[in-house]
Amino acid sequence: MKTMNWFLAGACTFLLFTACSNPPPAETDPAPKAKKTAIRVENTSKEDSLAAAERARLEAERLAAEKLEADRARLEEMINQLMSDDVYFEFDRFELTEKARELLAQVGDMLKAEERFIVTVEGHTDARGTEDYNMTLGGKRAMKVKEFLVAYGISSDRMETVSYGKEKPKVEGASEDAYSQNRRANFRVKIK
Amino acid sequence: MRKVFFSFILFFCIYSPLWAAIDTIAVDVGISVFKTMPLGVVPFEEKNGPIAWGEMPPHKILESDANLSGRFEVIASQKFDLVAFSKARAKFYVTGMVESLEDGMLKLSCYLYASQTKQLVFGESYKVAVQNVREAMHLFFDQVVFELWGERGVASTKLAWVRKIDGVKQVIYADYDGYRRRQATNDSAISMMPVWALGNRKLIFVSFRNEKPQLHVKDLDTKRVRRIYTNHKQSFSPAVNPITGEILFSVIRDGKTDLYLGDAEGKNSRRLSYLKSSQTSPAWSPRATEILFTSDRGGGPQIYVMGKDGSDVRRITFMGRYNEKAAWSPTGDRIAYTSMDNGKMNIYTCAFDGSDIVQLTSNAGNNEHPTWSPDGNLIAFASDRNGSYQIYIMRRDGSNVTQITKQGENTSPTWSWYDSPPPTSKKEGKK
Repeated sequence: MKTMNWFLAGACTFLLFTACSNPPPAETDPAPKAKKTAIRVENTSKEDSLAAAERARLEAERLAAEKLEADRARLEEMINQLMSDDVYFEFDRFELTEKARELLAQVGDMLKAEERFIVTVEGHTDARGTEDYNMTLGGKRAMKVKEFLVAYGISSDRMETVSYGKEKPKVEGASEDAYSQNRRANFRVKIK
Repeated sequence: MRKVFFSFILFFCIYSPLWAAIDTIAVDVGISVFKTMPLGVVPFEEKNGPIAWGEMPPHKILESDANLSGRFEVIASQKFDLVAFSKARAKFYVTGMVESLEDGMLKLSCYLYASQTKQLVFGESYKVAVQNVREAMHLFFDQVVFELWGERGVASTKLAWVRKIDGVKQVIYADYDGYRRRQATNDSAISMMPVWALGNRKLIFVSFRNEKPQLHVKDLDTKRVRRIYTNHKQSFSPAVNPITGEILFSVIRDGKTDLYLGDAEGKNSRRLSYLKSSQTSPAWSPRATEILFTSDRGGGPQIYVMGKDGSDVRRITFMGRYNEKAAWSPTGDRIAYTSMDNGKMNIYTCAFDGSDIVQLTSNAGNNEHPTWSPDGNLIAFASDRNGSYQIYIMRRDGSNVTQITKQGENTSPTWSWYDSPPPTSKKEGKK
């Protein structure tokens, strides 16, 4: 950029110099020429500063977008983390296990770090038992998770609970392994 | 209690050589075994040439109705056969005549005869398109039941249930025998827990279309679906009052489930019970004076009864840790429910005070969600005894188990009400 400026300035000086030093064939000719050049120089530098502002603006925008993108990626990662953080329960129970508490503490930290998150806690059961009773059980499980997070310092306005009973298993099948993975509470995340 | 029960089963095992051969044993404690009436069934005479019947010809529909009803023993015969009918003590037989009419309709003349005298007991004729033969036969069969038993049959009633279609639970309904199936919901979200509104023209069910369990009503005539009791975020487990049409249902609020009583229009509702425990699966007594429900106050689910106003709560079930989904028989004398033992679900009945427990299903996978036929003779339920969950019908004593759905996964059957008020005289419908 700078070299270009210097070059233009140099070219102008040279033109002016030659215009003055050479005997003019006609009086009026060289001056307008020089004038024109000068104007052109002025214009160029004005355009140039405008372009620079534009470039700076674009640059800032790009950085902001990048930051937003990074933010979004971070949020996405957090959301994915939250959504995969399933809290597991014992059969026909809704008390939180030690492991569940540890996991929920991490979830609580994440919710504290990102105030914009609003979560829905879904309570689920395994396939055994009736639809109706499992709905009540899912409701109790979701509530237990919410209560823990409220006690952890998360505002209850940011959390909603819903029971799915046995209707939305994570793993299909009638094995104890499938059952134990389906007795869970999980999170759905929205951004305020 | 348990000891007595098992010793009874043991007694049954040792002394009944038949036991191994039947997949459903009826441990009869107190109720009499069903008495069936032999009934001759003769194919219809096709007056002007053979007819291309749909799934089955009319006499087969009558046979199926007779078998499912639990009231008759079918004596099938290709033609009137006095020797065969007498031998089987079939005092009566049904048959008929079909005539193709010029407009493409069929005229079905159906008759109930006394075998000995060949005297007509009563006859009825129907003019129907070939696809409506089933409906006509069900109507005729119920007339036969009324004629011979003095009671209303259930051949014209319906069942609603939940069927998994493309991986999503949908509400469907059909004739009580599983034929003439129709889809009530076609949603991307789960639909479940269907029950019939009084009059059988609306189904109340739970939909997850708002990502929460919420009660909806489907009008089967206008096809409209509407959310009901909209002030509750999570509502389920509907039960229709057999007299007023009011709806009892469960609401989850702050993790606790309570019973609410709503009006028949689905608008206003009030909390019915103020118990510390969670309550679900409400069911009305036939006169709607009392309510059965499940409470977890003892840890696991157990069945309780209370007055319509929420007063006078008494526990019904004490045997086992998991007793749920009670249904009061329309005759008022028995309560059917699902019990879980060792991870397997089975259907039991007991008297209204919890005594006289009878196990209706055993050694046949899971058996759950009992629903009574309006005459109180039959119980429909869901079972995975043959691999996938299907709908079955049995007699109230657990005998005569008949599978009525074959493919896919079918659960949560609910029997409809009678379509019309009871006939006033025994002679009604007679020609």
